[in-house]
Amino acid sequence: MTVTPPLPTAVDASLDGVAMRFVGPRGEVTALEDFTIQVPAGSFTVLIGPNGCGKSTLLRLVAGLLAPTSGAVLVGGAAPVAGDGRVSLAFQQPRLVPWRSTLENVALPLEVAGVERAERRARAADALERVGLASAANLRPRELSGGMAQRAALARALIGEPSVLLLDEPFSALDALTRETFDRELQALWQERRRTVILVTHSVSEAIGLADQVVVMTPRPGRVARVVDVDLPRPRPVELAADPRAAMLATEVRDVLAATNAAELRPWAESEGAS
Amino acid sequence: MRRIGAAIVSLAAFLAAWKVATVVGGYPEFILPAPEVVAERAWRAIGSGLLWEHTAVTLLEVVLGFIVGATTAVLTGIALGKSVLVERVLSPYIVAAQAIPILALAPLLDIWFGGGLLARVVICALIVFFPIAIATMVGIRSTDPLLDELLRSLGARDGQRTRLLEIPSALPVLFGGLRVGVTLAVIGAVVAEWAGASVGLGVLINIANQGLFDTPLMFVALVTLALIGLAFYGLVVLVERRLVSR
Repeated sequence: MTVTPPLPTAVDASLDGVAMRFVGPRGEVTALEDFTIQVPAGSFTVLIGPNGCGKSTLLRLVAGLLAPTSGAVLVGGAAPVAGDGRVSLAFQQPRLVPWRSTLENVALPLEVAGVERAERRARAADALERVGLASAANLRPRELSGGMAQRAALARALIGEPSVLLLDEPFSALDALTRETFDRELQALWQERRRTVILVTHSVSEAIGLADQVVVMTPRPGRVARVVDVDLPRPRPVELAADPRAAMLATEVRDVLAATNAAELRPWAESEGAS
Repeated sequence: MRRIGAAIVSLAAFLAAWKVATVVGGYPEFILPAPEVVAERAWRAIGSGLLWEHTAVTLLEVVLGFIVGATTAVLTGIALGKSVLVERVLSPYIVAAQAIPILALAPLLDIWFGGGLLARVVICALIVFFPIAIATMVGIRSTDPLLDELLRSLGARDGQRTRLLEIPSALPVLFGGLRVGVTLAVIGAVVAEWAGASVGLGVLINIANQGLFDTPLMFVALVTLALIGLAFYGLVVLVERRLVSR
């Protein structure tokens, strides 16, 4: 049985002068500062930066899980609300509910949204098929491999047909081979239905392989160090490193990353020079 | 089959040890009656309807007391687990009530609640309440924060998070509390009967002990109480196996 859910219309997302501060036990932490980016509708944007630069915070802002301390976060021209169905966030860990079967896990967003049981099971079965997990529908999460669990999480993120898909390093725990497969599949999935995607990664080659634009971030507080446009033709092969233009873009991203990291070390170098 | 076999062997060994103790010790019957004496007394008490008359009342108290106590405890435990404020406000009273021995409180409750079945159910429920409420609270708090964030990202309302995530997360610990609680329900029923009742296994113990000097009958009542506890404990474990699938 195939149920065709309403197709999403791609929407744009933007952050305008966003600052995000958290009050923690050891005082105030500024995660993001004066952060401005434009994410065009239907585009693939990759965020890259060192650990703790606020990438995950940024995704939570776009998902409506956090509200910015100052500045504006807009999705399709309106502030995002968690669970309104426009935005879907896939976390770094699969986060499957241990007592539910794979199918029931994938159907969870529909259950929360109040979709009736027969329909949500049919759509979940469909979504599992799309990520190649149909045979695992009745398994429990502990019976799944890391790759299978991440596929299930991806199916769950896609089941509500979100206009904006946020991916927080979803493949970082996978081995290099599985990861390449995932990147290829993700690209195909995105090309078949052009929803807006924002992906967080640590991998420069993954960024160049997938992105329309790569947003390079500075260490905490996170700011935009540079936006690198990647206008390579699609579909892009996995062996992109051989392409001289791709190599140039990768070098540019690496240089910006290295420069911002060096900047972070400078205060230490100066204080040593002064003593 | 092996589990049942092991239970039979252990029961036989227990009875044999009991019998040996009576023979070797040479105790008079009013101190430690032999197992076959108790069995014979039980047979007579069953035949005359005496045992059932008292058991039926105690069973009703245990069942009602456990249901009332466990229900209020689970609801309170959910509130305690979900809100630190509720815990701060309520927990001093709950702990203080638990610290007062129920034995000392029972006569008062008996007066307050009119001395009938209601009073005994309240006393029973009160003793059941504490371990289940605390277990529920701890269980709710054991909810994985990452899964909670997932549900919030899906726009789940508070009630949905409780139903879909917090209660299922709490079940393993909650059932630990229910196991303790159901055995306490039996104690609660006897304490309540001692505080003022004319029928029930607790009363039967008093009659056998102080009125009739019928120690074998007292043993019959004690064994019946133990069997009630075992049966309800087993029932809880059975429900737990069905609900908690790990």
